Amino acid sequence: MLINKRLILAHFWLAFAAFGLALLLGAWQMFVRSPLNPWHFNPEFYYRSVTAHGSAMGYVFPTLIAMGFGYAISEAALARPLIGRRWAWAGFVLVAVGTVVAMLPVSMGLASVLYTFYPPMIGNPFYYIGVVLVVVGSWIWVALMSINLAAWKRDNPDKPVPLAMFANVAGSYLWGWTAVGAALELLFQIIPVALGWRTTIDAGLARVFFSWTLHAIVYFWLMPTYIAYYTIFPRAIGGRLYSDPMGRIAFILFLVVAMPIGVHHLFADPQVGAGFKFMHSVFTGLVALPTLLTVFTICASAEVASRLHGGRGLFGWVGALPWRNPIMLATALSLVMLGFGGAGGLINMSYQLNAPVHNTQWITGHFHLIFGGAIVIMYFAIAYDLWPHLTGRALDNVRLMRLQLWLWFVGMIVTTFPWHYVGILGMPRRMAYYDYANSALAAQALSVSLSAVGGLILLTSGILFLLVLIRGQRAPRQEAGAYQFAVAVHPPIRLPVALNGFGLWLALMIGLTVVNYGFPIAQLLALPATNVPAVYVGAPR
Amino acid sequence: MSDQPLFSLRNRWFTASVGITVVLAVVSALAGLVILPLAQPDLKLSGIWDAICSAAGVPRASPDTIAQQPDGKLSNVVMTADTLSRGDSVSIGRGATLAQRCAICHGPQGVSDANSPNLAGQFAEVTYKELNDFKTGARVNAVMSPFALTMTDRDMRDLAAYYAYLPRVPSPHVDAKLVAPLIVTIGAPMRNIAPCGSCHGDIDTKPGSPWLGGQSAVYIKAQLQAFASGSRRNDISQQMRNIARNMTAEEIDQAARYYEAQP
Amino acid sequence: MTMHHDSASADVAARVERRWATLSIAIVGLLVGMAAFVGIHQATMPQGRVEISDPRTLHLSGEFVESNLGAEVLADGSVMVRAIGQQYSFTPQCIVVPEGTSITMRATSADVVHGLLIQGTNINTMLVPGYVSEAQIAFKGTGDHVMPCQEFCGIGHQGMWGKFKVVDRNVFNKMALSQRRLTCVD
Repeated sequence: MLINKRLILAHFWLAFAAFGLALLLGAWQMFVRSPLNPWHFNPEFYYRSVTAHGSAMGYVFPTLIAMGFGYAISEAALARPLIGRRWAWAGFVLVAVGTVVAMLPVSMGLASVLYTFYPPMIGNPFYYIGVVLVVVGSWIWVALMSINLAAWKRDNPDKPVPLAMFANVAGSYLWGWTAVGAALELLFQIIPVALGWRTTIDAGLARVFFSWTLHAIVYFWLMPTYIAYYTIFPRAIGGRLYSDPMGRIAFILFLVVAMPIGVHHLFADPQVGAGFKFMHSVFTGLVALPTLLTVFTICASAEVASRLHGGRGLFGWVGALPWRNPIMLATALSLVMLGFGGAGGLINMSYQLNAPVHNTQWITGHFHLIFGGAIVIMYFAIAYDLWPHLTGRALDNVRLMRLQLWLWFVGMIVTTFPWHYVGILGMPRRMAYYDYANSALAAQALSVSLSAVGGLILLTSGILFLLVLIRGQRAPRQEAGAYQFAVAVHPPIRLPVALNGFGLWLALMIGLTVVNYGFPIAQLLALPATNVPAVYVGAPR
Repeated sequence: MSDQPLFSLRNRWFTASVGITVVLAVVSALAGLVILPLAQPDLKLSGIWDAICSAAGVPRASPDTIAQQPDGKLSNVVMTADTLSRGDSVSIGRGATLAQRCAICHGPQGVSDANSPNLAGQFAEVTYKELNDFKTGARVNAVMSPFALTMTDRDMRDLAAYYAYLPRVPSPHVDAKLVAPLIVTIGAPMRNIAPCGSCHGDIDTKPGSPWLGGQSAVYIKAQLQAFASGSRRNDISQQMRNIARNMTAEEIDQAARYYEAQP
Repeated sequence: MTMHHDSASADVAARVERRWATLSIAIVGLLVGMAAFVGIHQATMPQGRVEISDPRTLHLSGEFVESNLGAEVLADGSVMVRAIGQQYSFTPQCIVVPEGTSITMRATSADVVHGLLIQGTNINTMLVPGYVSEAQIAFKGTGDHVMPCQEFCGIGHQGMWGKFKVVDRNVFNKMALSQRRLTCVD
């Protein structure tokens, strides 16, 4: 039973508002740097937009989704009201205030440093302070998830933790630990320089700290999606989850291995030793494992559901799935995009294959496909599934929902596939303007135009999504009943303590962090000679 | 099972997961820190310890090429964001006194009516750098070099502070309606020309890049031509020569006239 | 282990999942093994050492002074190329190298983080101020490449396009007679 509906709804609405604005900026960005745009404009507007778009889509939108969904899971899976409601509201306010504080200097052009910061470029301090506030607000959520689970476990000794809550808390611990890297970079390196207390900064060390956060943050974004795969999808299609313990193992693998692999973002950097680049590469291979496990389990669950409802044949059961159900559609489309995006990820993690595409548009295409595509389409599905329970009103325009989901999928393919291609052609990232008339770039023009058109399709889909939700707020009242999660085919009666708690996994995660990051960080900290002068962006003239 | 200890060798999950993690970490460390480096002969490693250290990222001193010095006189100013802090009123006052002899060419308000550059409102670190370069011979001018030779470092800082403090005055050719030429708005990326404003202050500021607004078009054109031919060489590491040599004569004209017309 | 009601079918499910897990581990192992194998057999590898530099004084002394940038023919016939990246150009703006020769390229940044990508090749590195990047490269044929900066380095980033020319060995040798450090800057 969901009790704190307003709390959860507040998180989702703010998330989708930020998403909508950022989506608009994204579509503008695609258009404005494509051959379709004949007008010339101040390039700083482009970089300003990229900073806002990246910060909103990366730091604000998915964080709020994880938080809101997390509170919903806590109440529904544990069947008790959220402990720490006032703290939860405080966390929400911090995120909201942080967003405003960060976006004000960005929108004024005082912090066009991009959401990856990349010192020694330094912008207005309030941008960074705003991001810190967002992270602190989310850490309140991390603490609350842990506290709520602990309280339930005290009252339910020996009972298996419901899978949804287990995964939710795993995701929160992962976020809590992975955010530390960027927090260290912001608090001890960037903000002191932005405030004028220091004038030099170690750019290499900052990049290493940021890499600590940069990879695992995408797994933090991915957690709600995978929770939806395991605990919403099977129920929504009238089936059961094929294997509960496999699900737990997948989330445990994410918790342990998602974080200490960030140096694969620094393959081409000169400040990290080749040995650590290799070690991170090996562990990055390992993080492909939970996704492979998940794809199997979810497909098996789909097959179970289909056969339960009369599906037959080696492949015929696929056709018998409830394709008219938006959750079915979203999950299938998500898995297709996950396949392509994941393959791209395997390429990026191999040093030799990564070399030609590093920092080209391939990278941008890749993370839009996997995050904007596979992950975000499930955020839509989560919203569609939860909304009736949060608003007490029906959400019944399934045709519009299906159209919206198809448009998102098609738009994502049209946007990202040509995007990958121009990356292979060597098109560099993050430029406000490209001279497509030049023979070196002429081959890229058509693909970039296609991507820009894809951006418009995505914008349309985003607008439709918001329309569905807004209409849902005005639909007639309809009691949705208790919010249920999927049940496993073989629900566990008792679990080994290792699959019902996090102590061991947290220890391994921290241990691996020390092994994989300890020396590189200590090494760079011990080198004062690599502090370089700050370069101020957007400084007053 | 519930009272089964977690951190104990009797717990299969504990032994298996810790064991696998340790083995993976050790094997990948061995491969990455020892085997792979030693398998690359062109790294010229002097043994296992050297292999481990270099693969771990311990910095080594740059190879001992003959300590290189610049050939000829180039700018020896270290230009960063804090090269010149904001001048205090004492410094500005001293600068005002010193500036009396600059007024013959550069005007009493720092606005020249000859084709010497306007100095009023110029970024302090720019004025300071040019004076320094005149003094060391990195930049040569028959009139400026003798003046600069007599200046001390403090004099140069004071003058720079003073001129930075003076208000900018638009040139007689100011024209708010003048459409910016393409070379100014988008530059010419494939010829390695970024928009002028990305360094020169109208969009963003790179320390050491002069404010161009209201500057004499004749002066700007002469400087761009000097950079293009290489006769002016005090731009650190060729950052202006790289740009100017790729500009056409017409573009130089357009840029010069545009900036003269800016406030 | 996990206990549930229907042991037989639960065992079937567990066996199936275990089989898939084994297959998945094998796939991952294969991929990582390939990367290691390729690494040992001399495909492009990360630079072997970390080196530091001072962006403030690159132009004052040391290997990245203006007159030392460009291509240098070493005693053993191989070529050493030195370059710097700055807002918003590379120096030398046009780098020339001979084909069929072992080349070491060393570069650093004079201010912020830049990238260096030679279009049409897999030569792709970051230039981080305070550190020297080094890459071993070789070309099998001649050609002209554009050389963009691939990392956001400030508002003028989109103007940072250099050129990289690979010329015939004899042409290069002739150039080397008249220039101490070769570039293709006119």
